[in-house]
Amino acid sequence: MSTFREGQDQAHPNKTSTLILALILVLILNVSIQIWLLYTTLNNALAQHADIALPAFLASLALFLVGFFWLYYLPGGGKQRKIVKNVNFSDTYH
Amino acid sequence: MARDTKDNHWKEDFPIPELESTQVSRRDFAKFLCLVSGGLATGTGYVAIKANFFPPEKIVNEHFVCKKDELPIGGTKAFVISGSDIPYILIHLEDGQFRSYEQKCTHLSCAVFYLPGSGRIECPCHNGWFDALTGEALEGPPPRPLPRLDVVIKGMDVYVKAYEPSNKAVV
Repeated sequence: MSTFREGQDQAHPNKTSTLILALILVLILNVSIQIWLLYTTLNNALAQHADIALPAFLASLALFLVGFFWLYYLPGGGKQRKIVKNVNFSDTYH
Repeated sequence: MARDTKDNHWKEDFPIPELESTQVSRRDFAKFLCLVSGGLATGTGYVAIKANFFPPEKIVNEHFVCKKDELPIGGTKAFVISGSDIPYILIHLEDGQFRSYEQKCTHLSCAVFYLPGSGRIECPCHNGWFDALTGEALEGPPPRPLPRLDVVIKGMDVYVKAYEPSNKAVV
């Protein structure tokens, strides 16, 4: 029975390329939101407004976890497709 | 031949093809982004813990700064409260009021100065400006108002104490 990973490994390189690009874009979006959260948290904490700090941390943590499990969908995970090396048959048959 | 043997040693010690050592794959880049994401989450957590459980110490009691007649109109006096290393300034505004602020710009902590006659406090590093009456940021990169102290006049003595926004004591 075919699995998700096997199907992904057998996909056309164009499709794999599009997929990995989409995954990276989502990760960049996550990181951008996290930078904004850290900036806001720091600014508010320095202005003695600590209320926003905990929700911002939880949001940032959630985004990190999303990004972490997102890596599972990266093509080429698990077993890489084995490249069959050329065998020099002239050495085999004497 | 000896040379060849010598050359091969480092290849055994560092058995990574040149292509792999010079190029970052998209897969590695995605992993790096995830690492950055973890770092940002950790940083936000650190700020959250510090802000909630280790707030900065508040100033207690009133602290003497100087005599009222020591500071002419438009004059500024720098001072430090005992037990703290935060620099403050006391300003005698042109309308006779006194104001006291932290002398650190809220942008990058440069020293700020009162520009006599303008009613504004200047940060010369990046051309930031604050309102000398309220401490609000007026222009430039400062993101927050200057932290402020309340000024209390007792006879001819000028004291400062922790700022309370509800205090309407205008000196």
